[in-house]
Amino acid sequence: MLLCTLFILGAAPDSHAAKKIGVIMTGDIPYYNAIHNSFIAELNRKFAGTEKIEIILQRPFPNPISWSNAARKLIAFEVDLIVTYGSPATEAAIFEKSRIPIVYAGIYEPEQAPVKSRNATGCGFKVPLSSILRYFKRLKTIDTMGIIFSSIEEDTVRQYETMQNLAAQQNIKIKKIDIRSPNDIEKLKTVNSDAVFLTGSSLAHLWLEDIIRLLDNQSIPVADILPDISEAGVLMTLYQPSASQGVMAAEMAWQILLGTKPSGIAVYTFRDTELVFNKAEAKNLGINFPIQLLIEATRIIE
Amino acid sequence: MKFSSRPESRFLRYLIIFLLICFSAAPIPVSAFQQQKEILLGVEPEHNIFDQMERYRFLASYLSDQLGVKIKLTIMSRYGEVIKRFKTLRLDGAFLTSYTATMAIKQLHLEPIANPVNLAGESTSQGYIFVRKDSGIRGMIDMKGGNIVFVDPATMEGYLFPLAYLLQYGVNDINVFFNQYYFSGSHASAIYSVLDGRADIGSAKNTVFDQMVKNDPSIGNELEIIAKSPKVPEVTLCISTAIAPDLRKRLSDTLLNMDKNEAGKKVLQQFKALRFTKANKESFAVIERMAQDVLGSLTVHGK
Repeated sequence: MLLCTLFILGAAPDSHAAKKIGVIMTGDIPYYNAIHNSFIAELNRKFAGTEKIEIILQRPFPNPISWSNAARKLIAFEVDLIVTYGSPATEAAIFEKSRIPIVYAGIYEPEQAPVKSRNATGCGFKVPLSSILRYFKRLKTIDTMGIIFSSIEEDTVRQYETMQNLAAQQNIKIKKIDIRSPNDIEKLKTVNSDAVFLTGSSLAHLWLEDIIRLLDNQSIPVADILPDISEAGVLMTLYQPSASQGVMAAEMAWQILLGTKPSGIAVYTFRDTELVFNKAEAKNLGINFPIQLLIEATRIIE
Repeated sequence: MKFSSRPESRFLRYLIIFLLICFSAAPIPVSAFQQQKEILLGVEPEHNIFDQMERYRFLASYLSDQLGVKIKLTIMSRYGEVIKRFKTLRLDGAFLTSYTATMAIKQLHLEPIANPVNLAGESTSQGYIFVRKDSGIRGMIDMKGGNIVFVDPATMEGYLFPLAYLLQYGVNDINVFFNQYYFSGSHASAIYSVLDGRADIGSAKNTVFDQMVKNDPSIGNELEIIAKSPKVPEVTLCISTAIAPDLRKRLSDTLLNMDKNEAGKKVLQQFKALRFTKANKESFAVIERMAQDVLGSLTVHGK
């Protein structure tokens, strides 16, 4: 586990004692990094010259013990606020039942997530999964679709269930691919699906390049609801731009550090999305994007 | 040298002068004087212009055979180019959607000839304003600060109507009211934008919306229509009055009687229409009023 301490130093020489914010960011996931960067930038802007803020960053590996240890460490550090990215990290922090307020971000449909607590508030996102299915069907015939999720990440289970229901309505068979450890990646060697939907699982995104390589070998296109920041080869991504979540989490953190109770701040779900098609990957897979489909994209990777 | 002329040559000279005076004193329209050899019609682009041109190609071929005049088609590169294209391409007419037909009738004095009746039995269309059911938007007040997608500034269903709807509720500056607005370029794209969450609110034509729902019922389950415009002619063939009246009448009669003969029925099937119905200028009055209300009092550009 990596422990980082960052300082945002205020300009005032006689500033108050530093406020400590503990952050739990699962693994090295670019999506969470993007949320965190905008969180820090906004917090800097909010407290510019008025307050000294100490950020204690925890990057636990995605498993229940590591999440729990990260939360306990921050409680032991007696931070003034815990900020979590993603559903499992948030659940771990809430489970500890400390009195430290929690602000979360990066949770899929937070109103549906088991993160309700007097001490917690935050924001998340929702992407219409039906659109993924719709775009897949405009690209090729889909009889069977694989869904990669992680049963230890609650919100990815909900995404799996939602997509399963949508697929059932269209007589599409589902292959369940549960990723809990690196060994589970082996399951992808024989997927036998026409397409694969990748949920927002942090575990799966930790090994995104390996997953894409295995699916590329079988010419199976992948759609994702987190941005393919490293351009690993996801064919299409429909995602909520994460910067806005970081900004809102900073706003919530600021209000809480100034005395507002988390229960007084409403949970917010971002629903704006961007659609990216990867034409280079389509070429690898022998898929042609029809022009009527390409014009829908917010961005095209050539 | 003295000029002398014989009586017959003098008569010939008088005859020529008489004829010259007649032609210069009473100019006759070229189209009426010469036999029109071809008619160039513009077609406004839809979502899939390849399918669209294929459909219109069958119709053009049928009309050419029936009229003995070559009917040629040209696609207008985008909505709203009617006025400009008529002048630069010297179009003789165009199949126009409601708002552009209104502009063309008013500014170019085109004559509305006929409207196709679609396979659902409708010759009209209307605008829908829609949102995702899970968006929490139920009316105009909830739209504030959201992102709205229009189709094109030259569409009634995808621009003029939503502006009129907003104006009705006192919104006279979309730059202030919305976080962002943009034009998708097609009705289908506007619908996909809202489905995906790329926009919170959308506006589009009911015929495209209903067809998409028919093809994929999940779309109907996810979107909610919160306002509908009055019905207006969906597509109208408008013809320049420079075309000879008898040819215009023959063109109109041919279209209106297509469903009464086997060859015509076959082409209608390929054109994806049941028949053509007679168009009239009065049908466009509602759009003209809407445009006057909206464009006179809204700030629509600048963001």
